[in-house]
Amino acid sequence: MKTAFTADQLAEPEIAAADGILRTCVHYGFCTAVCPTYVLTRDENEAPRGRIDLIRAMLETGGRPDAKTVGHIDSCLSCNACMTTCAVDVDYLHLADIARAYIEENYRRPLADRLLRRLVARTVTDPARFARMTRLARLARPFRGLLPGRLRTLVGLAPAALPRAQDLSGVHPAEGARRMRVALLQGCVQQALAPEINAATVRLLTRHGIEVVVPPEAGCCGAFTLHMGKADTARAAAARNVDAWHAELEAGGLDAVVVNASGCGTVVKDYARLFAGDPARRDKAAAVAAIARDVTELLAPEDLRLPETAVPLAVAYHDACSLQHAQKIRSEPRALLRAAGFDMRDVPEGHFCCGSAGAYNMLQPEMAEALGRRKAAHIESTGAAAVAAGNLGCLAQLGRFTALPLLHTAELLDWATGGPLPEALREIPLPEPVARKQAAAPTGAPAAPPPPDASSGGTPGAAIW
Amino acid sequence: MSMDAFLNDAAGGLGAEHVNTAEETLVRYGENTMPGGDRRPAAVLYPGSTEEVAALVRLANLHKVALFPTSTGNNMGLGTRSAPTEGMAVLDLGRRMNRILEIDDRMGFAAVEPGVSFQMLADELKRRGGQWMNSTTSGPPQGGMIGNALDKGAGYGPYFDHFGFSCGMEVVLGTGEVIRTGDGSIEADNLVNWHVSKYSFGPILDGLFAQSNYGIVTRLGVWLLPRPPAIRSFHFAFPDDGDLEEIVELCRPLKMSNFVPTLFRVANDLYLIGSEVPSPAYAASNGRQSISDEARKALQREHGLGAWTVSGAFYGPSMEAMEPQIGRVVDHFCASGKATYIPHEAALEKPALACAVASFSGEPTLTELGLLKWRPGGGNAWFTPGTPMDGRTANEFQTLGRAIYEANGLDYQVMNVAGPRFARGLHVISFNREDPDECARADAAYRALADAFYARGVAVGRAPVDWQDFHMDKLMPSFRDACAAIKRALDPNGVIAPGRYGIY
Repeated sequence: MKTAFTADQLAEPEIAAADGILRTCVHYGFCTAVCPTYVLTRDENEAPRGRIDLIRAMLETGGRPDAKTVGHIDSCLSCNACMTTCAVDVDYLHLADIARAYIEENYRRPLADRLLRRLVARTVTDPARFARMTRLARLARPFRGLLPGRLRTLVGLAPAALPRAQDLSGVHPAEGARRMRVALLQGCVQQALAPEINAATVRLLTRHGIEVVVPPEAGCCGAFTLHMGKADTARAAAARNVDAWHAELEAGGLDAVVVNASGCGTVVKDYARLFAGDPARRDKAAAVAAIARDVTELLAPEDLRLPETAVPLAVAYHDACSLQHAQKIRSEPRALLRAAGFDMRDVPEGHFCCGSAGAYNMLQPEMAEALGRRKAAHIESTGAAAVAAGNLGCLAQLGRFTALPLLHTAELLDWATGGPLPEALREIPLPEPVARKQAAAPTGAPAAPPPPDASSGGTPGAAIW
Repeated sequence: MSMDAFLNDAAGGLGAEHVNTAEETLVRYGENTMPGGDRRPAAVLYPGSTEEVAALVRLANLHKVALFPTSTGNNMGLGTRSAPTEGMAVLDLGRRMNRILEIDDRMGFAAVEPGVSFQMLADELKRRGGQWMNSTTSGPPQGGMIGNALDKGAGYGPYFDHFGFSCGMEVVLGTGEVIRTGDGSIEADNLVNWHVSKYSFGPILDGLFAQSNYGIVTRLGVWLLPRPPAIRSFHFAFPDDGDLEEIVELCRPLKMSNFVPTLFRVANDLYLIGSEVPSPAYAASNGRQSISDEARKALQREHGLGAWTVSGAFYGPSMEAMEPQIGRVVDHFCASGKATYIPHEAALEKPALACAVASFSGEPTLTELGLLKWRPGGGNAWFTPGTPMDGRTANEFQTLGRAIYEANGLDYQVMNVAGPRFARGLHVISFNREDPDECARADAAYRALADAFYARGVAVGRAPVDWQDFHMDKLMPSFRDACAAIKRALDPNGVIAPGRYGIY
């Protein structure tokens, strides 16, 4: 795509970066077929290709963006399915970040919108404030109908109750010989909403010879606010993590920074770019980003310490967008869960977002609900008894639309390797344990489905092999 | 002719929300990757059923407007979803007619609407337990199965021939009448043979709707292959361009006996490497020259691929059970000492070869879309002649094609997809569409290639939208007249895609 920025405009690093990205787009349009908002609306401006054109026009024109452009950028999930399918590798993720930051700086939203976004940004990123607001929401729930629209949505999204907080700050020694030392990101909302995920992760890792350190200074990764265009706020939060982890890196040595919320992992892996303009922290951020890993990247199937029996629970694996599209992690969680003995089911239309997308389900509730219902229907069509995913946001969103137990991958792996039965599975009947197979039969194709099995619904006649 | 009146009536029938005339939409639906430019339509409509398609065709007859049906719009390198000329009303069948209507787990077929993509059916088959697999192209996973089959698209496994392995259609003719083909034409409620028997009473009308504009296919039966428990691929890299002759001679007997169940993918260096990286040589000549032989050799070394690399696969009960077959093909291909064997596991580490494995396995894959960034600027056209499976002829065609690419400063990127008697040569013409000079060279190259191959008795398998008239004009007048006569019979007012594949 040709652009028409002036030399003065291109002197701005962010405009120059945007220009480089914009020029790579040649309008092939593969992105449209996988873009959730386009598929649901068929509006070209609700597709990456249309949004890219709008961003180009907004940045070229300069000044105050128009409301129409802001609306179409706001409605983007940043699921990055477009980046997976793009034939020419347009870096939409960073283009959208640049556009959002530009809007934040140059567009004055209506008062109600400003207040709502501020409330979301401040609440979700602070576990203590999140807990207070949840209690407030619980009190407000009987009067929900009297609240204005978006606030009503927020109250509806708030959990009925929060589990007991667990602060995992400190050092968790490896069981047996230590083969690795890692820092774990506790995160912000995850600490308040689902502390069992971090606890399971610590148990899983330490059980497999990995020492886990959780620096108390580290917290919110900045993803929430970054995707709302609040780049400075995001950098301030991220800086605390960079400093804390880099200190550990220097002092005790770290083999990895482990992130078990893939939305956060995507941003932590991108810290080098976030701090590219900060000479004081640039190198430290790059060092931290270079060792950032999703929890499923840290263990290999052959590493798992598995008991002699497995519980062949049918589990639908939901690919979080931030894992599959941003971090390109698809096979690792499946391989681990399959090795642990679970009967893994792929979800149709797996490339599609569930509608969680950070703050999206709070700020764009209608589209989020449509996507959530669509995803839940696909998940339930697999016949699975439980759902696994690598991102809390997805689990929370899906919980609104399906009654199936929802678990983080780490919780299932923790259970399968000797940890406690996850709370989410206590109320459902579990299959009888079976003797673990010596080895899974290799298949020829990458990510090939399981071999034909007469018990899985098809006709035995099909299995002529 | 009144497009406005047509759209008004169409909105009344479909609902205004299913008639789109937004400027952004019209611009996008006219876009393609051809050198000849975009073709803006007048409107985009989203029918939701065969009955609605038929009603729109009848309205088009009433108002004398041209319709251009498209399924998912992924016909990349051949026209995307661009009509032959601007100003038509696009019927986007992918928007609402995207249902898998039926899957028969015993007879092994699916019946699909035009919006069903390779990915959608693959997902659904997997969801149902993975007993069956559909043949997929190595093109976009979101590509439509009906559109691909009707354009004579292909995969790479035993059911590669997507039109040949389809069975039973529902079609809206140019008059607005609806027909079902084969045993589907019986007036009965239980059409048990519709999607299992291709040959029944009367003429086989199905063929009329491939690469034509005689009707709009709204339902198609596609046959499914039982998914084998294990798929084991094999690959051989040959060092020299001229090795194509030996390769073709080696492949022919293995396919003639069907010892190898898949087709052979015989891909040249730049076809495979182009799916992984952009041209490292483009900038040096600003696209005016072909990449040098030295640069190609360097790329071959870097990527561990040959001037030509052959890929195929066996299907069997386990990886170990296929060891004897692998041993036989290795002995066969390596007999002359030129080939380097690349085993299955090593191939999975190379994206371009992993893409071949996925294609043999009925797994949609994005890898080959990388070819679209070999040169910048988004120009891409596919020239698709073929060769008999005779090594000398195949090599002669290579020499001919390569010279024309080089004369026009383009890069020769070809994959021959080889069966027992014939190989389709997928020639990619990658060019910078933002550079008028390069566009002109792409157009000149395409025409020179077509002229040269026609002179040797070879037409193309599929034609990009820019050159469909050009191709039709090369056929014998009586053939052209027959096509036009059929058009007049089935679509007397010429409302369905006039000019598509050169038929008016």
